[in-house]
Amino acid sequence: MPKRLYRSFQALLLLVLCIFLASKLASGKLTYYINLRFIPLTIFGVIFLAVLAQTLFAEIKRSRQLAQAGDDEHEHAPASSNLWFMLVPLLIGVLIPARPLDSSAFATKGFNTSSPLVSADSSAQLFETDSEERNVLDWIKLFNYETDISQFIGQKASVIGFVYFDQSLNKNQFFISRFIISCCAADGFAIAMVGEWPQATNLEKDSWVLVKGTIQSITLNEQVVPLIKADSVQAVPVPEQPYLFP
Amino acid sequence: MVIIFFVQKTTSSSRLPRSFIISIVIGILLIIVFSMISIGFLSWVWDKLNIFATVFLGIFIEAIPYLLLGTLASGLVEVFLDRDQMSKWISHRPVAAAIGGAFMGMIFPVCECGVVPLTRRLFNKGLPLSAGISFLLAAPVLNPIVVFSTAAAFGWGNMLFWRMGISLVIAVVVGIVFSVEKKPSNVLIPVLTLSHEHDHSQRENPSIAEKIRQALLITADEFFEMGRYLILGAMLAAGLQTFIPQAALLAIGSGPILSVLVMLALAIVLSICSTVDAFVALGFLGTFSFGSVLSFLVFGPMVDIKSIIMYLQVFRRRAVTYLVAIPFMMSLLAGVIFNYLQP
Repeated sequence: MPKRLYRSFQALLLLVLCIFLASKLASGKLTYYINLRFIPLTIFGVIFLAVLAQTLFAEIKRSRQLAQAGDDEHEHAPASSNLWFMLVPLLIGVLIPARPLDSSAFATKGFNTSSPLVSADSSAQLFETDSEERNVLDWIKLFNYETDISQFIGQKASVIGFVYFDQSLNKNQFFISRFIISCCAADGFAIAMVGEWPQATNLEKDSWVLVKGTIQSITLNEQVVPLIKADSVQAVPVPEQPYLFP
Repeated sequence: MVIIFFVQKTTSSSRLPRSFIISIVIGILLIIVFSMISIGFLSWVWDKLNIFATVFLGIFIEAIPYLLLGTLASGLVEVFLDRDQMSKWISHRPVAAAIGGAFMGMIFPVCECGVVPLTRRLFNKGLPLSAGISFLLAAPVLNPIVVFSTAAAFGWGNMLFWRMGISLVIAVVVGIVFSVEKKPSNVLIPVLTLSHEHDHSQRENPSIAEKIRQALLITADEFFEMGRYLILGAMLAAGLQTFIPQAALLAIGSGPILSVLVMLALAIVLSICSTVDAFVALGFLGTFSFGSVLSFLVFGPMVDIKSIIMYLQVFRRRAVTYLVAIPFMMSLLAGVIFNYLQP
């Protein structure tokens, strides 16, 4: 492949990659893939890719002018197969619709009702947060670290998660699950608390719900797990941040 | 060409060309197979494809900024660093060079994706083998970003101290091992693709703007060259994660030796960037001992699927074997020793 053509493809691919990332950023779908805290890095990436593409376009223009001036250089381009590999993430990103990890990933990614996370911050500050503002992870943490969980029984709760059914539960119960992501989707694993609602059988697996009710506890596999006795279960769209961050 | 061939074949004989018959037979077989596949299987495939896409893009998008930084550093080194300067700074005695190389890692904020092109560039500028190897292994752990992210996850304590210390020791040891090889060409794959862009700059003394332009062009070339192996590695890692249950891997992990082996295997499979792996490791501390998590933190930045594939582009296969095996043995040893000291 002649050098100038190679440069043109390079510039085009960089530009497309830049637009691809920027569109994921703009649509808020970037949080399907990486932890919120790394988004500034992606913004840097988008800007830098644009700068690189611009540099290449300028270089193509310059080499065309040189060619017209008769100063044509015979240059060899690097292997063109390098270019086609960059199409792989673009094609995967465009052809396969963005979908956050859900219960179909439980088989390989793991699914827990206890929290294996030992965070540097204690659960002390969780006590101060309003009980209705705690998410699934917060409740799991509280039930794991506190020796006396009776203090939580009867508190009001309101959590969002996706629905999952399992044989360990009764007919009127379901799991309210979330994936926990530290860095990117590669290290995700799922946690869940239990919801109890008379019409639970009407719920659809993997659908997102907002569950409001009061906290109870249930014992699963010799482990005390938080349970919400639901007053209402409401279908909601996929949240802007489908994952929780430890 | 094919069409002409086709036409000739069909006109010369009244029989249909064999390739045509074969393709029809294959088509019918495919239709039969697809009609036998249940909807359940198709949705299973679709689910797996979705997991694969999400995990793959997760690793890829996470790594892009770091790969850009690494290739930018490489481009700047190429343009702004003289061979002469380099030989002045770095000692050529093997042990001193290895230690110097490892400490050089403290300055460059690159993780394991960015360090490979940068190291290759430094070799090209005449960096001794032992210094380059210990830089390659030390930089992804010792650099300031990783120090702060480890401290953010574990606090300024034991974990941070031992992670840095053991990584430094392993990097220096491997560097010294490689200093035995006197001919770098036995270890390194010669670089062919370096464009002769820099020939222009040597015509006269180029301006800073011109130099930066050159550096950016090199950055773009290397982004594609190394990006290719990042993509391959991320696909492999995502594929493994789609089909191998990590929960099962974690479940078998008990006992002072087995638990370290499980953590090392996980470090290879997960292929997460060294700048953020501390947060992931934090999650294992509940189920795994200090020594096992430490071995994950030491080994992960040096060796994982994507870095092995990137190493293979710079080093000969035998050298890569050493680059993987020695850190593996030493991380295993360190993890097991810690497990016996403080179970």
